[in-house]
Amino acid sequence: MMDKEKLRKADFFSGIIILLFGVWIVRQSFKMPMKDSWGGVQNVWFVSPALFPLFVGFVIIILGALLSRTAWKTVGRGEIGAVIRWLLSKSNVEFLASAPTLRFYAMVTLFLSFVYLNIPRIDFFLASILFLSVFISMFYFDDDGVLKRLFFFYLAGLLVFIVYFAAGMESSLGNAVPYSGDVLALFFIVAYCLYAWVQVRKNPSLRKKFRTGMIIAVAAPLIVIPIFKYFLLVPMPYEGLIVAFLDKVWYLDF
Amino acid sequence: MVLLDRIAFYFQTVFHLASEPLNLVILFGSVILGIMFGAMPGLTSTLGVALLTALTYGMGPATAMVCLLAIYVGGTYGGSYSAILINIPGTAASAATALDGYPLACKGEGGRAIGLTTTTSAIGTTISMLFLVSISPIISYFALQFTSFEFFLLAFFGILISGTLTSPDLVIKGWISGFLGLFMACVGRDLLQFYPRFTFGFSELDSGIEVVPVLIGAFGIPQIIQVLKERLVIGEAQKFQRILPEFGTVVRNVPHIVRSALIGVGIGSVPGIGEDIAAWVSYGAAKNISKHPERFGKGEYMAVLSTETANNACVGGAMIPLLNLGIPGSPPAAMLLGALMLHGVTPGPMITFEHPNFIIEVASILLLASITMWIVGMLLAKQVVKVLRIPPPLFMPIVGVLCIIGSYSLGINVFNLYLMLPVGIISYFLTEMGYPIAPLVIGVILGPMADENLRRALMVSQGSFLPIFTRPVSLILFLIIVWTVVSQFEFSRRLKEKVVGKLFKRRAKKTGA
Repeated sequence: MMDKEKLRKADFFSGIIILLFGVWIVRQSFKMPMKDSWGGVQNVWFVSPALFPLFVGFVIIILGALLSRTAWKTVGRGEIGAVIRWLLSKSNVEFLASAPTLRFYAMVTLFLSFVYLNIPRIDFFLASILFLSVFISMFYFDDDGVLKRLFFFYLAGLLVFIVYFAAGMESSLGNAVPYSGDVLALFFIVAYCLYAWVQVRKNPSLRKKFRTGMIIAVAAPLIVIPIFKYFLLVPMPYEGLIVAFLDKVWYLDF
Repeated sequence: MVLLDRIAFYFQTVFHLASEPLNLVILFGSVILGIMFGAMPGLTSTLGVALLTALTYGMGPATAMVCLLAIYVGGTYGGSYSAILINIPGTAASAATALDGYPLACKGEGGRAIGLTTTTSAIGTTISMLFLVSISPIISYFALQFTSFEFFLLAFFGILISGTLTSPDLVIKGWISGFLGLFMACVGRDLLQFYPRFTFGFSELDSGIEVVPVLIGAFGIPQIIQVLKERLVIGEAQKFQRILPEFGTVVRNVPHIVRSALIGVGIGSVPGIGEDIAAWVSYGAAKNISKHPERFGKGEYMAVLSTETANNACVGGAMIPLLNLGIPGSPPAAMLLGALMLHGVTPGPMITFEHPNFIIEVASILLLASITMWIVGMLLAKQVVKVLRIPPPLFMPIVGVLCIIGSYSLGINVFNLYLMLPVGIISYFLTEMGYPIAPLVIGVILGPMADENLRRALMVSQGSFLPIFTRPVSLILFLIIVWTVVSQFEFSRRLKEKVVGKLFKRRAKKTGA
């Protein structure tokens, strides 16, 4: 959490955002049937589906306004102006490029790419290994320089994936190479690991961390996925190359 | 006779649960896992319950509760390990324990402190279990008299009070968080007319936002981001030898243990307020009562046992409103509510009719979990402490994968993930700006109850709000809500000061001072 002074400055802006959000809720609620008929039922105001959202929206507007007012009264006009000037200045750019912010971007990018790009399209086992190997290596090495390089390498790989899926290459290549998306993911994992190894090979302690991280990145999905798939009978979001192989092993032996 | 029958049935249930080998395996496994979750800085019992919920999908409600309550009890207690041994509270609930626990560990008395907290945590859980069994029938009886207006006001009160008490900064932020949760509960087709609200044409949103992915996202993702962004470094754990506490120390402290347990039960039963507040209040009470308050903060046993008894007693306390009113008493209880609904058990006043033995079962599980926690604490403390050596960048990404697979597997729906992640990222920003997350989650859970009951009540009264003032319970709840809101504003404080000042002046004149 930020310190009190920064919080009050942020409160002014978050209050306005919340107020506007409340206005949006109220506007949307007014589009709902209030007194007209819906599904053959003539409405009265107190059974209208808009009643509760309207109540919530109005309260959010009031609370947002109160928060902004409190912040305005505490820090004053001058400080709010200073924040706006800071937002438009070079210092803001420096803040956005700082190490903690980069760590934040890296985590958010990893989560977003895992959930929205990889999980629906790549074998869940491979997607998990990719997520874990990138996540662990970026943060376990505890070196901002290495993190930055690994992050940009991952971004370049993501770009390849986006182009591959957006251009529909999966379906065109699918006939020639089965599980083509998974094969690409497998290549990317290997390439990423090699790149990470190159980054740390001269440092014995980081080399040890690399080995530990990679073992965990493979071992964790190897334990978690069979539990969900074979014991809890939960089908994986996308079952490709590795899950098909696991199926073969599981159903042949048992 | 009825009471004797209940007690006999209670012990029957305890023996029945304990005689099933599978239950015992799950009990011990979950308690150990819970202690690990509590001990590892960055992981919480809420997250533990959230992640384990997915694994209980195929179990019966009783077995699932064994698993989830055991992890809840273990997680609440486990936070004391890292608080005492490395001065980093494993959970917010054990933050107060670190104040005196770590100085004790530095003096070489860490083992004794852990032994004492293990014992008092077990006693705290057991006392709270007694309250759960004895108070529940009374609350259930009164709750059956509630009509829609009371339920609407109760839900509204739950959100307001949790916003008021959990906010680390301005109270308004707690309320905003609660109302954002209520908004999320509005998404989907409304329960009375089936009109699609805020669905934007997505058929996946028609049935509303699923509670469990929201809970996992709101508690899990911000935790991962915070720990790794701030580079949490875990220090070397202090060494310890003897764990078993002296019987005399426990007996001497019985009054403090009972007082702390009562505080824990009381605070736990207030909607949305968790173990952390119980621990701090208990710490404050112990310091006020102590003959040597100057020793607090320097390694005082009384402080450590007060906080740990209270936070574990909170577990049973949180079950009281959860089971009888359907209102979670703490964030992990909110998670339990989601899990119970998943298993077809709807907590509320009707639970005594729909599942007559369920509260007794929960109480039995709490007793078994506290005994198991004590055994595990005494036998495996030295082994469990080893998990403190695992660096967060190794286990946090695994928690991330568990959050994702957990959210997905509860509905076998990828759309849950699409919701979970934005909720998680927004929750992170809210946390950074001093908005508490518990009211948001409670808003999502209580939203449908508030919405449905408000409209149902107005239908019965033909649009009149008058029954709020004519029904005694409604009126009391309404006045409490008004007081909760008004008391937060400056003008009410000034008014209070004026009134109190005038009263004292008059009294002084009368006495002729």
